Order: sequence, then structure tokens, then C-alpha cells
Amino acid sequence: MVEVGQDLVDFARMLGELITVVVRVASRPRTFRLTSTVNQLERVGWRAVPIVLLITFLIGSILAQQGIFHFRKFGADIYVIDMVGVLVLREVGVIIVAVMVAGRSGSAYTAELGSMRMREEVDALRTMGFDPTEVLILPRIVALLIAVPILTFLGSMSAIYGGALVAWGYGGINPDVFLSRLKEAISLDTFEVGMIKAPFMALVIGIVACVEGFKVEGSAESLGLHTTASVVKAIFLVIVFDGLFAMFFASIGK
Amino acid sequence: MPAAANGVAIRVRDLVVGFGGARILDQLSLDVFRGEVLGFVGGSGQGKSVLMRTIIGLVPKREGTIEVSGVDLGRASAEERQATERRWGILFQQGALFSSLTVRQNVQFPMREYLEISDRLLEEIAVAKLEMVGLKADVVDKFPSELSGGMIKRVALARALALDPEIVFLDEPTSGLDPIGAADFDNLIRTLQQTLGLTVFMVTHDLDSLYTICDRIAALADGKVIAAGPMATMLASEHPWLKAYFHGQRGRLAGPAGPARAMGAAGAA
Repeated sequence: MVEVGQDLVDFARMLGELITVVVRVASRPRTFRLTSTVNQLERVGWRAVPIVLLITFLIGSILAQQGIFHFRKFGADIYVIDMVGVLVLREVGVIIVAVMVAGRSGSAYTAELGSMRMREEVDALRTMGFDPTEVLILPRIVALLIAVPILTFLGSMSAIYGGALVAWGYGGINPDVFLSRLKEAISLDTFEVGMIKAPFMALVIGIVACVEGFKVEGSAESLGLHTTASVVKAIFLVIVFDGLFAMFFASIGK
Repeated sequence: MPAAANGVAIRVRDLVVGFGGARILDQLSLDVFRGEVLGFVGGSGQGKSVLMRTIIGLVPKREGTIEVSGVDLGRASAEERQATERRWGILFQQGALFSSLTVRQNVQFPMREYLEISDRLLEEIAVAKLEMVGLKADVVDKFPSELSGGMIKRVALARALALDPEIVFLDEPTSGLDPIGAADFDNLIRTLQQTLGLTVFMVTHDLDSLYTICDRIAALADGKVIAAGPMATMLASEHPWLKAYFHGQRGRLAGPAGPARAMGAAGAA
């Protein structure tokens, strides 16, 4: 219990520090580390595209297959399109991407920052008059904030594509029918509900990863421990946030 | 060297530093004079590195004052602090080179940030700094992971000297080096200190370094400086820890022949 409280405090502290740095950098835009941000963006965004496309494609296919298999008993095959469309755009796309990013990039962030701490690189930065939050953390989190929404969009499209293929091959639903039915089943709201969550997921993953990275002490064991903690906590928080969003959207009627 | 005449570079007064309930440094006071090499010794876990890290601002202090070049760091504004930080260079024990940057980028890192100079000049300065610490131009594009321990320390020293500091902090500069490498590094520090007029604060365990390059030595025990002065003072001290340290088996074997060595031998006899 105490530990959870401490985690909350650490999270809030990092968020506060980040906001301070954002305000400071905004007033002096030249201090923003563009090169580093682009470099991170390549690693967490560009290079994640193939695996994200593959996994979401598979998830979309499985959803469609299961939907058709069970709906067929009621002669309601066609509703699989509604299910895949709404589920992928609202929930599954963003969650799968967030979980992937937490496992792929969150762990990398924690391990990198942790090993930099172990080698006193962070101390070296500080003694040269640099703020580690500005130099190390801000570019990483900005990169996530850009990458996760893009990956979510790509992932959702890939999942729907997978679903459409399975619906066609396994369920005998013609792509034309799929598309026109999809148009009726979903609205822009459905899409927006999913997309608006993406930057929040990015923030949660990034902050948890950086907090854990800066907690690493001298040993290799500690590095492993915090990397694990980073992924577990990030995924847990992603799910919790998704639940909170679901409640929020339900109460505003979207 | 009449170091005291040059004024005080670092003045620490009544410094208290602790973690949780433990007091690591207890009312510690120490002066480092301008232009001297001060060797700082103490048992493991006594807080030698803590003092260094407190002076450079990595560990918060509880009480006391730290003045560097006349600036009280506890009360300095952010600008004054940053100006002071630019006047010191730090060599960490493991070098602490940025592992994602090449040697060249490491040395250029502080300059790129603080100086508005052209890339060509930056390049020339970086090579000059690396030559100064005895490295050839062919290492510039290597990453820290491709370098030996001694080379890492040299690159780290070049980075510490990048902004032409007045004060250099060295955390166990010769640890992890073989005796020849350590002696070379000692000579390098001495040469640079004399040619650049540096003030050097050196945390060390290495008796050879203490004998050969330190103008003064300060010893830490029980959170306080128990003795400070040239080697002769250390050797003459009656404090049990100092006696054990300088007159122990390793103490007698270390050190060049000469008055200090003779005194050490006499004291031990």
C-alpha cells in the first residue's frame, strides 16, 4: 500500500517536472533537443510499425473469426462487422498498441536511463549544468506522444483490414458489403474515442518508464527489477486508464 | 608550492550531510587553495565521494556552507550556479562518458551547449583536447564501449577540460589502471595542472598518487577532516587511522625514495 502511494507521488513528481521543463523549453525553443527527439521517434515509432501492423492484423482477424463463428449460430454473421469496427476503433487498437509500446519502448527507456544512471552519466550531465529531464526525458516522451497516436491509427486500420479479409474468406462477406456496413456501424465519434486515448497512454508509458529508469541503483539486478516493474506498471496503468475513459465516455454519452 | 598565498578555491564550512538517520559528514570544514592538488583520503564508506558529490551539487546538504571561487552555492542564483558549474570539470570514477555518443561528441558535448562556435573550430578544439590528454586522433570516432579503461579515463578528462575549467574534481582517477597506466595518468594530471594552472580536488586511495602529485592531503574519518597538510604532516600524525594508512605494509612499500619515504620508514620502525 505504501509502495502504491510512493509510486503515485513519483508519478506526480515526474509529471510536474515535465510540465516545468515544457514551460521552460517553450519560452526558449532553441533548447529543445530536436535531433534526439527525431532519433527516439525513429526507434519507438518508425521501427515499431511492422510489428504493430502484424499483431493488430492478427488480432483483427481473430476477432472477426470468433465473431463469425459465434454469430453464425444466430444467423447474425453480418453483425461481426459492427463488432470488429467498434471494438477495434474504440478499445482494442489503442490498447494493443499501448501494450506493445510499453513492452517494446517503455522497457528500452527504463533500461537505457537505468544504465546511464549506473554509469554516472546522469550525474555527469547534471554537473555540466544540464537538466536530465530536459535532455533525456523530454525528447523520449515527446517521441512517444507523436508515435503512439500514429501507431494506433495504423494498427486500427490493419486490424480492420485483417477482420475484413477473414470476413471475406471465412465468413463469405464481400468487401463491398463489409465497407458499406462498416460505414453504418461506426461514426467519427467511435474513431475519436479511440484516438483521443492514445496520447494519454503515451504519457503514462513514458512517465512510468522514466520514473523507473531513474530509480535504478548500482546493480544489474536493480536494472532488471525496474525494467520489469516499468512494463508491468505501464500495462496495468494503461488498462486502468482505459477503464476510466470508458466510464467517462459512457457518462457523456459517446 | 605556496598554495595558500593564492587564495581559496573551495571553502567548505560546517558541512553536514546525511541519509536518513545516518550522518555521513558531520560539521566538516575544508579549504582547497587555488592552484594546488589536494588529495582527499579516507576509509571506504567514510564519505569521500559524498563530499565531492555534495560540493558539485549531486547530494543535498543539511547544514553548512560551500563556497566555490567565492560563490556561496547555497545562496547563488541559477545563473551564478551555472557560471560556477562552467568553471569546474569532473572526472567520475568510471569515466561516465555518454555511451551513445562517440569520443568526439563526448568531448564536444559541453562546448556545443555553451559556446557559439563553428563546427570546424569545435572539431579542432576537440582534437586538441584529446591530444592534450595523450590520445591520438584515431580514437575520435570510437564509442566508449570500444575503449580500454585507461583510454576512457583520458577521454573523460578531456571532456572535463573541454570548457577550460579552473577547478577539476577527480574521483579515484587511477583506480582500475595498472601501475604503469596509473603512473602515466598521475604525470598527466600533474602536467596539465601545472600548464593550465588548475586547482585539483582528488579523491583517491592510491598512495603513489598521494606521494607524487599531491601538494596537500586531507584525511576524512568520522565525518570530519582529521588532518590536512603536506605529506610530512600526514606521516607525523599520531591519529591511529592515519598511522595505519600511511605506515601500514602498503604505505611503506609505496612512495619514492626521499625524505617522505625515509620518514615513513622511520615512523614505522
